[in-house]
Amino acid sequence: MLKRKIVPKYYTWISTVASLTLGILVYLIITLLAGINPLEVLVNIARSFISPSIVKDFFVLIAMGCALLISFRAALWNIGGEGQFYIAMIPGVLLTLFIFNPRYNPASAPLVILLVALTGAIMGALWALIAALFRAYLKIDEVPVTLILNYIAYYIVNYLVFGPFKGRYVYGYLRTDEIPEIYRLNVRIYLPMRGDPLQVALQGLTVQLAYYIALLILAVVVYAFTWWFFKYCRLGLYTKIHGSNPSYLQAMGVSVNHTILLAMTISGALIGLTGSMYLLSELGRIPYEIERQTAGYGYLAILVSWLSLLDLKMIPFSAYIVSALRNAGIALQVAGLGGVEQSLLLIGAILLTYSITRFLVEYEVRVEW
Amino acid sequence: MSNVVLSTSVDTSIAENAENVILSARNISKSFPGPVIALDRVSLDLYTGEILALLGENGSGKSTFVKILYGIYTPDHGEILVRIGRVLEKVVISSPADAMSKGILMVSQVPQLISKLTIAENIALTLTSLRLRGVKSFTSLTKILKIICEESERIGIKIDPNEKVYNLTYTQKQLVEILKAMIVDAKILLLDEALTYLPLLERKRLYQALYKLRDQGKSIVIITHKIPEAMEISSRIAVLRAGKLVGVVNTQETTIDQVRVMMFGEERAKQISYIKMQTISSRGEPRIVVKDLHVEDDYGREIVKGVDLTVHAGEVVGIAGIAGNGQRELLEAIVGLRKMRSGEIYVGNVNVKKKGVKGVREIGVGFIPDRLLEHGISPEESILENIAASTVRSGVNIPWNVIEEISRELINLYQILTPSTRTPVKYLSGGNILKTIVAREIENAKKALVACNPTRTLDEVSAIYVRRKIKEKTVNENLAVLIASEDLDEILMVSDVIYVMNSGRLYGPLAPETPREEVEKLMVM
Repeated sequence: MLKRKIVPKYYTWISTVASLTLGILVYLIITLLAGINPLEVLVNIARSFISPSIVKDFFVLIAMGCALLISFRAALWNIGGEGQFYIAMIPGVLLTLFIFNPRYNPASAPLVILLVALTGAIMGALWALIAALFRAYLKIDEVPVTLILNYIAYYIVNYLVFGPFKGRYVYGYLRTDEIPEIYRLNVRIYLPMRGDPLQVALQGLTVQLAYYIALLILAVVVYAFTWWFFKYCRLGLYTKIHGSNPSYLQAMGVSVNHTILLAMTISGALIGLTGSMYLLSELGRIPYEIERQTAGYGYLAILVSWLSLLDLKMIPFSAYIVSALRNAGIALQVAGLGGVEQSLLLIGAILLTYSITRFLVEYEVRVEW
Repeated sequence: MSNVVLSTSVDTSIAENAENVILSARNISKSFPGPVIALDRVSLDLYTGEILALLGENGSGKSTFVKILYGIYTPDHGEILVRIGRVLEKVVISSPADAMSKGILMVSQVPQLISKLTIAENIALTLTSLRLRGVKSFTSLTKILKIICEESERIGIKIDPNEKVYNLTYTQKQLVEILKAMIVDAKILLLDEALTYLPLLERKRLYQALYKLRDQGKSIVIITHKIPEAMEISSRIAVLRAGKLVGVVNTQETTIDQVRVMMFGEERAKQISYIKMQTISSRGEPRIVVKDLHVEDDYGREIVKGVDLTVHAGEVVGIAGIAGNGQRELLEAIVGLRKMRSGEIYVGNVNVKKKGVKGVREIGVGFIPDRLLEHGISPEESILENIAASTVRSGVNIPWNVIEEISRELINLYQILTPSTRTPVKYLSGGNILKTIVAREIENAKKALVACNPTRTLDEVSAIYVRRKIKEKTVNENLAVLIASEDLDEILMVSDVIYVMNSGRLYGPLAPETPREEVEKLMVM
């Protein structure tokens, strides 16, 4: 077994494709053993890869995958995407439901939306900053801290929904009021959904793209920012060097602690931004038990980032795969082929084969006899 | 990836022809990313009971060659034969552990020992993992201690096996490495610049140990860039240039000049000269001022014990001394990388205690660190990014076109061998990594340059170029330069003022024309 000195570029692609294929294969074998028709499962998985319903997850995961990439490249393992995502919704609700009532000044709506985005980013950044401070000044590992902060964020948001943010027009449901339409970021178009399956799919895609236009713009903006950050920004270079040799940064007279703080807060800010945009374009309000409202984008985004081998070019590709698989899990559940565990099993199987292929990318294994 | 095929068939014709060949490398080729060919069909035989010196300039493929023999790299083409019993057998060496089990052991520049363990524990680790000399996982340390004592007595190395490795000097660590080679009963010892950093006297002691081994029938390959060293101890000299074997000569039948021509070619060999560089008569204001400085080493022991030192603008101050006497820590403290216990340091107008490394670097102080891989580079990043990180100190965006220009210029000037400016530094050879750091830091030096062993892994031509460059810049740009070097020739060649560092104290200043013997006396007293 030898460590490869050079990893050919195409190995990245091959390993990603191979881990997917093998992961699905492992999954199929398990389902077969469980007495479920693997063909039916496979059809459902395949269908989800071309389903228009994945666009929302796709956009969100691109944005969050990029955000995590910034901290991961610095070897700062921000597992707190979940917390940063939800905590960022608090100022959004506060601004749209309590401070700026659209009945008095509808013309200010664009400004309010910008403010929601900005405060969301700040909130996410502050949440990440807590873990960054622990890491930089107390040398406490950021993994458990960010993880614990996820739960604190859940409970804070839930508490607010339970108490001060509790809606007045919610028919007894535990949730906030609906955010006024004027602040919502969806574009609704209606298409007949007729024609051959391809046409229907394309029409469905158009409807979805229009509806989630804000998330599309968000994904493009965050992606472009991350590209710029690593390619041109001085701090981006420091971030990368922190990931490979912090002592060198120190010897250059660059503050290692500031690099940690900045990389983490930028990562948190981008996630916070995503959270606030998600509030305005998908949720429309915060329901009780916030942690059950998404499939855990904060965790899925970790998968997206790792699957890309921390390579920005691969982020859209891995975001696509992860969102398709997540939807496959749902489709399987709907088709009665299993419960939530089906999607978890599938993702687990892929992570397993991914770790193996990742190892094979870095090491050359030779069998001697 | 490799075409080396394991085979148990025995090539008897060869075995008959060369009875005292212990290892034979045939047509070894190896290439690295980009257009770099590290080795191009190199064939070399090693005989029983000889010391073979392997010479070549930086990036000529010396290290790659021995790393292939030690199983760190696998060759793209070619085959390796090792004598097993009475015959030469084709072998595949897939890892260092594999190499050790075949009787091949390498000692490199950097001792591969675990600092927190004792000598005996370190050796026990090797023995248990290889299951040599009847040592298994549960063998008691007493038995291993006995083996160590026996072996060290046999070759005349005095050490306490219960000493923690971090308490050892560099020389002692290298001795332990060689002792380890004896204990695992290596037939072939590969020394990759292993003696380079050793002070003269200790090096001589090691030569004696090597002669003993040679006389016992062991074979030794020694990589060095010091031709006199090769001339002194080897029986044959092999020279590599740009990955090709230029030739193998019997040491007694050649001269230093002939070997230089083999290494560098007729034209470039002429550049080599050890004449003392011009000293200047006038010097400027004090630029680096150190007052009663006390500094601790990594283990909290006081290693710099009250140093006073002034470096003026326009002069080169050289600190001679044997490694481990506090030079590294002194220099690290001066640029603000190491906390001082007490004392004062000013660089320019910067109070180092208050402003730290950032303040020092911002006024334009270049620093060539002793720990190159730790403080000198970020291995995953390219030359371009490494240069950008140290030169661009303000602004949001990095002006890549400017950096690209600087990088190309430095690569040309210092003849850094790299496929491109975008190749991660970790793919460069050791000498070329040092060249990158040296080039960058000389470029960064606007007010002062603080350098620890700036040429130690460079070949003669490159080392002389670097020294000239430093001297030139000192005079032309009124730079204050402080160099600590274990290479006394270097100190004598470039210094306007000489100090000697010994046991944490500084002795001097000595005049630049102080005789060598006097300086040496201070180094070892």
